[in-house]
Amino acid sequence: MQPYELSLAAAADAIRARRLSPVELVDSVLDRIEEVEPHLGAYVTVAAERARRAAGEAEHEAAHGRYRGPLHGIPMALKDLIDVGGMATTASSRVRADHRATADSTVAARLSAAGAILLGKTHTHEFAFGLTTPQTRNAWDRTRVAGGSSGGSAVAVASGTATFALGTDTGGSIRVPAALNGVVGLKPTYGLVPRHGVTPLSWSLDHVGPLTRTVEDAALVLTALAGHDPRDPASLSVPATDYRPGVGTDLTGLRIGVPRTYYFDHVHPQVETAVRHAVGQLEALGAQLVEVDIPMTRYIQATQWGLMVPEAGAYHEGSLRTVPELYQDDVRILLEASELMSAGDYLRAQRSRTLMRAEWARMLEEVDVIAAPSVPMPAVGADEETVTWPDGTAESVSDAYVRLCAPANITGMPALTVPVGHDAGGLPIGMQLIGRPLGEPVLLRVGHAYEQTQPTRALATAA
Amino acid sequence: MSAAELTPPEAARWAARAGLVLPAERHAAVAAVADHIHSVVAVLRELDFADVPPAAAYRAAEEHHDAAV
Repeated sequence: MQPYELSLAAAADAIRARRLSPVELVDSVLDRIEEVEPHLGAYVTVAAERARRAAGEAEHEAAHGRYRGPLHGIPMALKDLIDVGGMATTASSRVRADHRATADSTVAARLSAAGAILLGKTHTHEFAFGLTTPQTRNAWDRTRVAGGSSGGSAVAVASGTATFALGTDTGGSIRVPAALNGVVGLKPTYGLVPRHGVTPLSWSLDHVGPLTRTVEDAALVLTALAGHDPRDPASLSVPATDYRPGVGTDLTGLRIGVPRTYYFDHVHPQVETAVRHAVGQLEALGAQLVEVDIPMTRYIQATQWGLMVPEAGAYHEGSLRTVPELYQDDVRILLEASELMSAGDYLRAQRSRTLMRAEWARMLEEVDVIAAPSVPMPAVGADEETVTWPDGTAESVSDAYVRLCAPANITGMPALTVPVGHDAGGLPIGMQLIGRPLGEPVLLRVGHAYEQTQPTRALATAA
Repeated sequence: MSAAELTPPEAARWAARAGLVLPAERHAAVAAVADHIHSVVAVLRELDFADVPPAAAYRAAEEHHDAAV
């Protein structure tokens, strides 16, 4: 096994035991980038020299007994909405052609302090306003979409060109590409991870979180990211927590909600089969399955759009007037149309969110976790714009990919996607676990227990 | 076309009222997208909100402003 193939936890163990140096690990990942990146297009920028220099410093520290923790010397990538002082935050947009961040975002600073090494910035669907990331190709099949908007981060982790990465999630933008590329993605509780220095799409729906090869890896990254920052007005004051899940797989006493409605409607049969099989594994580990009815399903998309579209329009109000031609067509027209929404539309969405959050809280008094598909279908072809379900219903690809993720953005509840298999064509399928606010330890425990029942996953092969 | 749908000139006028001048060749496309968004969010009018407040909460003690005004 080459160093670039190691999970974060395995690499951390090897670095701590001095069996692997940060220089060897970073060199291995940079070699991998050189080999596969031309085929995948995950990165906007690769900062190879900076990474090598940081790896040398991390090795020097390790040699002198200074070990910062499990992220010490671990190479990672940041979605290019996340500020790193001195580098451009392009948002994968021509609008940001001359951008240069003056300081690190909170998450970049925290990862740096924890010893992680920045490899570069990964592609996003322009300003995170889309679900495909057209610059990047799926790590398992280059003719398929990467998913988005954190497509570059997911493809980098899946293909071995980053040991972990960060993404952002406003309507599924961590979970969708993670599921479509066969990696783990965690959208934390709203406010748990500070967003200071991260370009917003929609303030009341935006989250920052990790994309990793394993659930345990996601827990290690979350431990470094979580914690209050007054510069993000939504930031929660929570005590420092070690999120690393225990080794046990016994889920006795845990109640897992299996949706009777919504989450298995208009879902590809192979996705449903894989997710139900994984849920069966959780039952075999001792969990009790409880059928639940998802509340207010008719209003999920309306609430998501009623919040996201006007908030995105507000953020881009200035540049839409000065440089509209620099936006891609799909993003520009949404921003323009957003200006025609009323304050009433937005307030109805905010009031609907109040109702929905209360209904979900009631549902999560009956169960500890909801288990469901992350997305309704595997990665579609890069030129496909709609999906037609067996009952004849047509749905845009973007709407389909957001559909099962949006409730956790609207309610702010944490949601984890875990790979649970592949379809007949070899494309990955993800299971979504949704928990109570600040219920990350439960999600990570369940996801980690499931992973321990499965063979170790190999890296993606499309490159 | 229902009475609630925007004509291209109406879309242009509404945008202009918001301070956004749309080139003529974009009026029809913006009207169509705005109508689609409207059709999605309009279902929220079915809900009886009674005294339910918006979710955006204002916590005076925790506000932190650093923008210049």
